[in-house]
Parts: sequence; structure tokens; C-alpha cells
Amino acid sequence: MIKKKKLPEATIPTSSMADIAFLLLIFFLVATVIDVDSGIGMTLPEFVDNPETVEVPKDRMAAVLINETGDVLLDGQPISLFQITNTLKPRIQSKIDLPNNKKLIVSIKTDRKTEYNAYIQALDQVKVAYFEVRDEYSNSKFGKKFSDLEDGSIEQNEVKDAIPIIISIAEPEKVK
Amino acid sequence: MKFEKKRASTKQEIPTASMPDIIFMLLLFFMVTTTLREVEVFVQYSLPEAKAIEKIENKRLIQYVWVGKDGRIQINDSLVKLNEIQDIMYAKRQALPNVIVSLRVDKSTDMGLVTDIQQELRKAYCLRINYSANIKI
Repeated sequence: MIKKKKLPEATIPTSSMADIAFLLLIFFLVATVIDVDSGIGMTLPEFVDNPETVEVPKDRMAAVLINETGDVLLDGQPISLFQITNTLKPRIQSKIDLPNNKKLIVSIKTDRKTEYNAYIQALDQVKVAYFEVRDEYSNSKFGKKFSDLEDGSIEQNEVKDAIPIIISIAEPEKVK
Repeated sequence: MKFEKKRASTKQEIPTASMPDIIFMLLLFFMVTTTLREVEVFVQYSLPEAKAIEKIENKRLIQYVWVGKDGRIQINDSLVKLNEIQDIMYAKRQALPNVIVSLRVDKSTDMGLVTDIQQELRKAYCLRINYSANIKI
């Protein structure tokens, strides 16, 4: 009887695989920029050559004016930047039950020399006011925060209809 | 009487056989999430901070416009002049109808310039914009 010759085991050496994987891992760790694109979303109006001017009743408007030094006027009253949210909230809330063409319009107007940062801070305050009112409304109605409502659901649309975010960005005074 | 030291009979080794698998899993995660920088930003800018921030769901729709401290404007790979924005953005809109323009504007920029850019965007019918900002904690 012929004994079969024993073959040496054919294996790929895998001990260094972990090292190679580590090296790649470190490369990708270093190269990754997890940079989330976040910001304040807005929709611009379409460009029209000769825009019609429509009179808006005074109680529907909340005019925010920011000058070049960053001082804020809300409806003619000087106000600190951080009070905008609290001042606007009751005004938004008072108009929840009104029809769509009577909701509050917030108009933000700046000077040409105003710092961009001041404008963003003011816009942020206005947005926070709207978001908080939306949260409270949806909390009292559906027991959920606005952000927890399902996207495109009837509830979400109802809240959006009740509290639409209408922000008007007026052109600065000194237009070239 | 002979004393013998008590030793645990189990092996005192950390099993490392599955380590490559774990590393590979991490590796795959980072490979998938990595977006390598496509454009080099020439302008210097620092973003403002805000609380009411929304995330942009679809990264493919974004077109960036950078505005630096010195007021220079960059779109894609090149610095552009104000009056060139309209043509560039209009072409972009033709290719991508629901483009979102992400404005990465430096904090100290004048609002006049921002407004001028917005006017150009309006003429180019790029109406969805996003003021890029960092989260304020």
C-alpha cells in the first residue's frame, strides 16, 4: 500500500491583515470631513421688473429694521436682538386662528453696511419664534413636537397651514 | 507538604481572531461616509452661528457660493465677479432644476453684497437658498 505523501498546508498568512486594515482605517479617519450642511433655509421671490406694491394692514406686519451698528428696531421700538423671539411669539400666536391672508408677515430690512452676522442673528430669532409656536401648537393638538410629526402627514400640514412662516426680506434702502 | 500556586485553568488571552473583521467594519463605515473635498476654497470665511437650523437632506442638489472676508465670491473652482453669477447659476439651474444654493458667507460681510448676490440669484431663478450657519449651543 502506497501512503499518500502529505502535502504542506497551503494557507495565506492573515496575521498582517489587521495591520493593513488599520492603516486604511486611519487614512479614512483622517480624510473624513463629516461636515453637515446645515443652515437657515429661505425661498427667494421671483424676479419681477416692476413689482406691484400691495398695501398691508399695519397689524399684520412686524417690521424688523437693523442698522449698520447692529441696533434693532421692531415696529419702531428699539429692542435688543435677543428679545425678538419673545416679542414676536404672542403676535404669531394671536393669528393662529385667522384665515391665511391675515397671518403675520415678518419683514426684515437691513442697511447696506449692516453686518451679515447681525442679519443672520435676527433671522434666527424670528425663525426660533416660529418654530417654538409651531412646537407648542402641535404639542397641544397632537401631543407631539412639530419635528416628531411624520413628514408630509396630515398633522404636519395642518400645523404648517395654521402657522406659515412668512418672512419678507426687504431690499436695503440704498440700492445702487 | 508541597505547595502549589493556584492558577486559573482558563487561557489568559484576549481573542484577537475577530479583530480584522471589526476593523473592516469600521473601515467600511468611514469609506462610505467620506466625501473627499472636490473643490479648493480660495476665500477665507467663518460662518455665523444660529439656533433654528435645518439640515439639507439632499447633498446632490447643493451649489455652494462662497463669499470671503475680503468680499471675493467663489463659485465652483474659480473666483467670479458679481455680474457673472447670473449666467453661471442659470446654467446650473438648467442642469439641476431644483438646485439649492448654499450661501457660505463670512460673518463680517456687508449686507449690501449679500443682497446683490441674492438679486443675481433671483434673476437666475435660483430661488431656494440656504444661509449656511453653524449650530449655536
